[in-house]
Amino acid sequence: MTDVNTSIAAAPMPTEKTVKSRTSLPTQMMRFGAINLRMVKIILKGHG
Amino acid sequence: MARVVVLGAGVAGHTAALHLRRKLAKNHDVAVVTPNAQYNWIPSNIWVGVGKMSTTQVTFPLAPIYAKKGIEFHQAHGVAIHPEGGDGHMKPFVEVSYTDPAKQGSTAALEYDYLVNATGPKLNFGATPGLGPDGYTVSVCTASHATEAAEKLAEAITAMKRGEKQTIVVGVGHGTCTCEGAAFEYVFNVEHEIRQAGVRDLADIVYLTNEAQLGDFGVDGMTFTQQGFQTSSKTWTESLFRERGVRAIAGAHVHRVEPGVVHYEQLDGTTGELRYDFAMLLPPFRGADMKAYDASGADITDAVFAPSGFMKVDADYTPKPYEEWRAEDWPSTYQSPAYPNLFAVGIAFAPPHQISRPQKSPNGTIIAPAPPRTGMPSGIMGRTAAETIVDMIKNPDAHAHSASMAHMGAACIASAGHGLREGTAAAMTMFPVVPDYQKYPGTGRSAKDTYGEIGLAGHWTKTMLHYLFIYKAKAKPGWFVIPE
Repeated sequence: MTDVNTSIAAAPMPTEKTVKSRTSLPTQMMRFGAINLRMVKIILKGHG
Repeated sequence: MARVVVLGAGVAGHTAALHLRRKLAKNHDVAVVTPNAQYNWIPSNIWVGVGKMSTTQVTFPLAPIYAKKGIEFHQAHGVAIHPEGGDGHMKPFVEVSYTDPAKQGSTAALEYDYLVNATGPKLNFGATPGLGPDGYTVSVCTASHATEAAEKLAEAITAMKRGEKQTIVVGVGHGTCTCEGAAFEYVFNVEHEIRQAGVRDLADIVYLTNEAQLGDFGVDGMTFTQQGFQTSSKTWTESLFRERGVRAIAGAHVHRVEPGVVHYEQLDGTTGELRYDFAMLLPPFRGADMKAYDASGADITDAVFAPSGFMKVDADYTPKPYEEWRAEDWPSTYQSPAYPNLFAVGIAFAPPHQISRPQKSPNGTIIAPAPPRTGMPSGIMGRTAAETIVDMIKNPDAHAHSASMAHMGAACIASAGHGLREGTAAAMTMFPVVPDYQKYPGTGRSAKDTYGEIGLAGHWTKTMLHYLFIYKAKAKPGWFVIPE
């Protein structure tokens, strides 16, 4: 089987800008809204 | 007057009990039987396991909540179900054995009109010699286990601060485990804490999993659409492992654990030994191992329960190969086919098969993640069973409500590090939980609703859900408007 660590080494490496954006307050405030909208959509679409 | 007994007070059982009490008139009885005096919001045990939350932040006593709501509370565990009555009982009943210190060891027969089995898992550490808190590894399955894990992790970090290299192993301790998402959360929370402690260069962090590939999560992986590309959860997850410098051993079954050494086998049949200084390995689950008897006292356990100890419900249990698995195999009402007044929800129901492709090593070792059925789906099942019972009490011919995992979506917020400013989490949604390749050819799921992103916003969301769901579980005003 393919060694998973070879696969990890070939996986996309986020740029410094991407990593910083993951903890950037203005960006993440918007993403917080977006994530919650997605969760609401899942709830409305098929929550049993 | 009807009497409903709920076995278990986890997400599924507690949700069912609260909805039953809210919707049934006071002349009907609702009783809960659970061996634990405390409710535990299990998703936050991850943060207890790295010392970022205390046990008291993730648990609270159940008795005052049930007293306030008018729910009868028995601190006991279910031993046997008698769905036809017998032994002097005209009605069905469940035998319970008390864990309540005031009644320790005594037993009772609780009669019911409807029974909801939400007993959750038996943590089967015994399946792997040396696994678990009584062996040589730690766990985060309960708040007390997580507290012990945090103490052991702190010792490892202290050793690194002394300049000692440490090997940290996090993952699952058997080839048939579920909850890979929890192991994923814990490995990245541990990595985060070690990095925050300034000793990351002294830690070799290894993720040991039964998933054939990373990003499987026991749901056969997902496909996310991002920035104009379809990305597999495998690539997405591997990217995080690369960024955070975490090694992995995939497709692994742990045969045994000895002090400081994990012995495992992989899907290609090779075996290995992994030395460790700190190891958190989750156990496999099995059902609560209750028995069932008919009116004459004959053992009907095999008719009511699957060999795994989970209860048979309205699923299609016909054995068939992966290629023939269908969305319709999955249960929707969670009623026992043998006794329609008997339900099993959450982890307690027997799934028809895995979701991920099951695999065997050349040596015949089964390495197949079991399907996750915790969190959001668990709560939905509990509420659905409660709604069906409420309708059946009003009209015995009422149609059962349905909530198949093949027709419901789920949101999973997997923490990757704690902290209001520096925390991150992988926020994922999927629709449906069980892929339906007939309805969604190719990926099995809706491309619009299956999605993942990593960031601080995910951490804020998981934190918000922690407080929201504890508020809901405490049945505070308006609790029922918070969705499961």
